[in-house]
Amino acid sequence: MSNVNDLVGLEFEPYCFEIEKGKIREFVQAIGDDNPIYFDMEAAKKEGFQGIPIPLTFLQVIDLWGGYSFQEKMEKLKLNPVKILHGEQHFEYLEDIYAGDVLTVSSKVINVDIKKGSSGGMDLITTENQYKNQHGDLVAISRNVTVHRH
Amino acid sequence: MYYEEINVGDSFPTLQKDEITRVQLVKYAGASGDFNPLHTVEEVGEQAGTGIIAHGMLIMGMAAQGVTTWIPRKNVKKFQVRFKKMTKPGESIEITGKVLEKKENNIIVGEVLAMNSEGEVKLAGIFEGVLPSKND
Repeated sequence: MSNVNDLVGLEFEPYCFEIEKGKIREFVQAIGDDNPIYFDMEAAKKEGFQGIPIPLTFLQVIDLWGGYSFQEKMEKLKLNPVKILHGEQHFEYLEDIYAGDVLTVSSKVINVDIKKGSSGGMDLITTENQYKNQHGDLVAISRNVTVHRH
Repeated sequence: MYYEEINVGDSFPTLQKDEITRVQLVKYAGASGDFNPLHTVEEVGEQAGTGIIAHGMLIMGMAAQGVTTWIPRKNVKKFQVRFKKMTKPGESIEITGKVLEKKENNIIVGEVLAMNSEGEVKLAGIFEGVLPSKND
């Protein structure tokens, strides 16, 4: 692309995702996380939750199943999929998020850094997502740094 | 677990994960929706020059399991990682952590590392939790 800095401010179409218990269970099984709060209501209540909570990294599921696919996102950012790596991931949890919640996500590119190194340059593209629940409360914020090798 | 019981420099118990298999990468792809073929399709791994590599977010998920083994999920407010090295199927990941800082308002800041059995660091992260106080 002509200038990767032009990506700053690029907004993605908002997307919506209803969190299902079964999806949470499938996700923790894939990771091998056997914490019972993710599938047993009694265990969740014992920890002070009012329902089955999402695991810390589950917000990725909301992005990828509710929003753009990996390929679509690469096309929108005009990046070569075999040249990219996940550089950093930040999550901030503001309110509890439960199975049964419907989250709406707004997502945009907030920063681009261009770095030059001895083995070639790279672009660092930061996307910020804001997650609101069905009551309109902002419940989480995530930031993702994608590394695009030149 | 109370804020007063935690000290800067305290290490958390190591979480040892099972060896990563290709089937696990297929499961994680389906569960997460990350269908980047680099994680599951041999030819794409060869084209990228890396071979098949594990999802970084799978390793972050393991690190998150470590964090929520050490302090309750309910108390975790922030979690961020930097991905350092690629992980391949066949590697076994262990998660270690320690307390870096205690802040006002019952906040603790911890470090979390995911490394393979040779000690190669795959990701380095920071988490923040708010713990109950004995004085509350």
